[in-house]
Amino acid sequence: MDSQNTQNTSDSNTTSSGSAYWMSLEQWNGDQALADRFENEFMSSPLSSEDGKDGVARRDFLKIMGASLALATAGCIRRPQAHIIPYAKAPKEITPGEPNYYTSTWFDGTEGAGVLVKTLEGRPIKVEGNPEHPMTLGGLSARAHGEILSLYDPDRLRAPVRNLQNKERTNKESVATTFEEADEKILASLKAGGVALLTGSKPSPSLKAIVSDFSKAFSGARWVQYDSLPVDAIRAGQKASYGRAILPRYRFDKASMVVSIDADFLGTFLSPVEFAKQWAKNRAPGKDMSRLVAFESFLSTTGMNADDRFRIRPSQQLDVVLSLISRVAKLSKGSVVIPGGISAAAKAFENAPKALGFDEVLFDKVASELLQARGSSLVIAGGLPTLTETQVELQVAVNALNSMLGNDGKTIDHDTAVFETMSGSAESLQALIADMAAGSIKTLIIDDLNLNYLLPQDSGFSEALKKVETVVYTGNRNDETGSASQWVLPAGTGLETWGDFELQSGVFSIQQPTIMPMYQTRSLGEVLLAWTAKAANAPQRVKSAATWRDYVMGVWKAEIQGSVELGSGKSFEDFWLQVLQVGVASNKGRRERSGSGRAFVGSISEASLKARPAVGAGYELALYPSVQIGDGKLGNIAWLQELPDPVSKVVWDNYLQVSPAMARKEGLNKGDIVELKVGDVTVKAPVLVQPGVHDSVVALAVGYGQKTAGKVGNGVGVNAYPLSSLAKGKSIFSGRAATVTKTSGRYDLVSTQDHHLMEGRKIVLESTKSAFEKDPSSGIHKHQIFTIWPEHQYTKNKWGLAIDLNSCTGCSACVIACQSENNIPTVGKKYVMQGREMHWIRIDRYYKGSPDNPDVAIMPLTCQHCENAPCETVCPVLATVHNDEGLNDMVYNRCVGTRYCANNCPYKVRRFNWFNYMKKREEPLHMAYNPDVTVRPRGVMEKCTFCVQRIRRGTNKARDEKRDLRDGEITPACAESCPSDAITFGNLNDPKSRVSKMFENKRSYKLLEELNAVPRVAYQVRVRNADRVMEANSHGPADNHDKSHGDDVKKDDKKSHGLLKQDVNEKTGELV
Amino acid sequence: MTTRHPENHPENQAKNSFGSYLSAALFVVFASLALTNLTGCEWGSIGYNKGYAPDQPVAFSHELHAGEYKMQCLYCHSSAERANHSAVPSLNICMNCHLVVATDKPEIQKITEAYNNNTPIAWKKVHMLPDHVRFNHKRHVEKYGAPQACHKCHGPVESMETMYQHSSLSMGWCISCHREKENQAPVSCSTCHY
Repeated sequence: MDSQNTQNTSDSNTTSSGSAYWMSLEQWNGDQALADRFENEFMSSPLSSEDGKDGVARRDFLKIMGASLALATAGCIRRPQAHIIPYAKAPKEITPGEPNYYTSTWFDGTEGAGVLVKTLEGRPIKVEGNPEHPMTLGGLSARAHGEILSLYDPDRLRAPVRNLQNKERTNKESVATTFEEADEKILASLKAGGVALLTGSKPSPSLKAIVSDFSKAFSGARWVQYDSLPVDAIRAGQKASYGRAILPRYRFDKASMVVSIDADFLGTFLSPVEFAKQWAKNRAPGKDMSRLVAFESFLSTTGMNADDRFRIRPSQQLDVVLSLISRVAKLSKGSVVIPGGISAAAKAFENAPKALGFDEVLFDKVASELLQARGSSLVIAGGLPTLTETQVELQVAVNALNSMLGNDGKTIDHDTAVFETMSGSAESLQALIADMAAGSIKTLIIDDLNLNYLLPQDSGFSEALKKVETVVYTGNRNDETGSASQWVLPAGTGLETWGDFELQSGVFSIQQPTIMPMYQTRSLGEVLLAWTAKAANAPQRVKSAATWRDYVMGVWKAEIQGSVELGSGKSFEDFWLQVLQVGVASNKGRRERSGSGRAFVGSISEASLKARPAVGAGYELALYPSVQIGDGKLGNIAWLQELPDPVSKVVWDNYLQVSPAMARKEGLNKGDIVELKVGDVTVKAPVLVQPGVHDSVVALAVGYGQKTAGKVGNGVGVNAYPLSSLAKGKSIFSGRAATVTKTSGRYDLVSTQDHHLMEGRKIVLESTKSAFEKDPSSGIHKHQIFTIWPEHQYTKNKWGLAIDLNSCTGCSACVIACQSENNIPTVGKKYVMQGREMHWIRIDRYYKGSPDNPDVAIMPLTCQHCENAPCETVCPVLATVHNDEGLNDMVYNRCVGTRYCANNCPYKVRRFNWFNYMKKREEPLHMAYNPDVTVRPRGVMEKCTFCVQRIRRGTNKARDEKRDLRDGEITPACAESCPSDAITFGNLNDPKSRVSKMFENKRSYKLLEELNAVPRVAYQVRVRNADRVMEANSHGPADNHDKSHGDDVKKDDKKSHGLLKQDVNEKTGELV
Repeated sequence: MTTRHPENHPENQAKNSFGSYLSAALFVVFASLALTNLTGCEWGSIGYNKGYAPDQPVAFSHELHAGEYKMQCLYCHSSAERANHSAVPSLNICMNCHLVVATDKPEIQKITEAYNNNTPIAWKKVHMLPDHVRFNHKRHVEKYGAPQACHKCHGPVESMETMYQHSSLSMGWCISCHREKENQAPVSCSTCHY
């Protein structure tokens, strides 16, 4: 790819795939190498790489076989000999091989979820969503699934460490220590006073209680909270607008019109699982379908799902909101009044849409839709891309708009159930740093926040840390912050200790340990309890608590039982048992209410607007957390590193996103290394030319470039945190001026977007709301099919899966859920580059329209379990066969690895084990295996089984209870964790089952119907709530979709496609 | 439209390669004959370990417990009617009786000591299914009841001084029962292989 000049090259191009949809710029440009790749199912021969290193090379195989033959003659002895090791004293609740589930809570610093932890013989093997939790309702994000690998992370600290430091306060030597020794020494310094505790937000009643006890016991120790992904601007904006610093509860379930200003609420912002669940509910196609408009500096998960999308710079976020305010007021003809405090500011932005380069008609449409949806619209801004110089003003403006529209107290819950619990503050961190530098902090306890990695140089943190006499760090690694501390006392993971959470006010959930601490670790609560108990003036509740569990129970008894429905009219013991069983206690009625509209008292002065740095011709930085690893804490989890980014599909890296126009202007190509200079800091990063990025924005993910994460995460990507700034009480992550200089360096960025290409076959179908209302089957292309195959007969169950493309947000939680459930290996960057990723479910992301601001369609693809499966007919050893319930079985012990099946699969969903990936899994990661699923060896084909192990368990359970299977009783891992309930599984022989109804749905279609493979997976057409004529195709490659079908179906083709406006030829008015 | 290329048709493939199939089959036959003579394993049990009777760390006798004292199979192997696995009993099951019974015998003292020290005993696994196979004890016990169901696979356990593998546990052996009409048992691959 030598040129990004898309306008010129694409029209004459005939080698590109020929669909209106395209997956990468290479495809759009008609890259020849890519076209060649279409021809081959497998990207390279297994013998072309150095095999010997990775496993047994083929020639050695015979030698080894010869040796084992000789051994076999030594007698009638089984090899290998295996043992059965039963318990000496079996715990009552454990039956070998039968899982036990424990309720718990997962929280990673900003996002939380109620979870069920599946354990086998006392060993947690999977995290699943807790359907009882009122926020997440059983959904779970990809990151939450990764918790299992955090537990078994071979690189985490296994015992306390003492770092002996030089005079310059750098680490000279790390020596092993014990908690007893540490306690003794630390207690002495705690008693000397000047104590501070620095943690992330801790929305935990028990932790709050123990911190206050700790503080009382040690002469008013100070507690400072700081979040790696700060949300304090929202709190500050709420305070300025309404007088109380809270984090409101956004209610997407009540919103029919959502406008997002750089808030990636479906991907990374606050509580994406909860938001996706609520948002998807209102997206059912029909009259009441909600609308989503995104103003974004780069393409995020939310932007991919937006009906209309505007590109902006981070510094223009405020302009957008203020001009929306003035347009809304203007269009309302006086019925909506701009609050006094911002009317002057809004007036200045009346004509901003033009200056911002927006389509003014579309912008006015957004404003009028907001006006129409008064009380049920929601304007939301937040996340790292909104943390600019004017982050608080932006929040004030957003609050003003929501108040004007009457959304406050309706779609914005400020009263009854708010996040009061996220209390991180850049301001108080800065005050602490100042005190540290002044020497007034003698002892600092840092809880598992690698601040020397997270905080920018201008915060002065690492220098100030050297002035603190005793630093205690509870991280699980001896990392940058750990090595600057004298004591590193690992805290372990949330799966090993007791705890509790109040993720939203009034929603109390419990964190249960599901395994004994694997190593010598103590959670923050345990550490503080141990120290407080030894203080002279320890509070009574500390003295009476023998363990941290007792303390947590004490808090629940005294503070929580009386405030929740579950607690009324029963003894504490009964209440506690119920809490452990349900996992959560909250008040239903309370969650239904949102409060009432508050009086808006905020103001934005013109002076503050004028003080903004002028928007020049240069580039602006936007930092963001990635959907995969968030703030970077999960950097050592291979599943997440190998999870393709929902937008770019790049794995194992972060990269500087630039727009195609900027790439043309600066002569940049994918993989060029550039020097990115922001302020005084320069970072070298590879470039990714990414459609949808604003032409003046460069975007980079934080959380990468770690040096101390462990074997998986070390050296993956570049660290973007130094490009942020912490000054004047604000964390600034975006909107800073950036200069980009191309270097001669090149770097391989690996993206899965061109793997498993569909060769231009149109498998993703879309429609628009208005077309759907006229014809619910719009967008679907029906074929006349002639078949000589007899139909299969199913007397019992007939399994089917339905995927609603309209609900799928592309968040990729299903991919990791499947990986965790089905023992799917990670293969590493090198092999992903060769197209050997093993995910059983992949999420295809298609672009449509011009590369500058394309529309996006998302499609999860898994084994289709075809009735007339093309894979079955070509297998020479019958390793893949149809079963009596319609599953396309994969029989691993028959498979000899011919790979014919993968070659013949039109959906490209089969994965081949090129190596014994599993043998390379380092201990104790092997403990995360699911024993219900075979671990596949080298040379074997594999693919989605519809979670046949769950089908077996489900049918067995029904048989034990002598009843029929209930609909929804069997759920594959993907459907179970899907935050937006896009996947439905069930029995097609039961006409009342949800999946049967989905199959009969008018929006339902089968992939490549014309091949007569008869897939057992039905997709529902994605419906876009936007009626604009997408002019995209006029620039795009010619749509030669018809060619792929052959002449016999050409006539039908025209009819069914006509309902999509973009398929209308502009000149002739004919359907193409 | 679905088409099948003649050269891909399984039947034709079989014809083309019939010669090589035959030679491979002959090789397997001769090799197994040779191996059987060398190993002293029971005929037909190559790779299946029929007759395998390892010495166990504790000389437990099924003949005594199940034969002479007529203890129920499910008393010790209780999970056979509750779960996929028929687990070897944990020591606390043994100690239900052996806290008071035969406490003077050295073998019993072994298990008492292990129980008191909370160190599990590593029994040698006798019945091992081939790889990639799953077997559900519960379903089979439900169908025939204990001890009839147990006998079908494990043989006359009540006469075994040392536990040995009675059946071949090969797939052909499993399927021979599953195929019998009156059993109404499923025969699709993913019944056992997944």
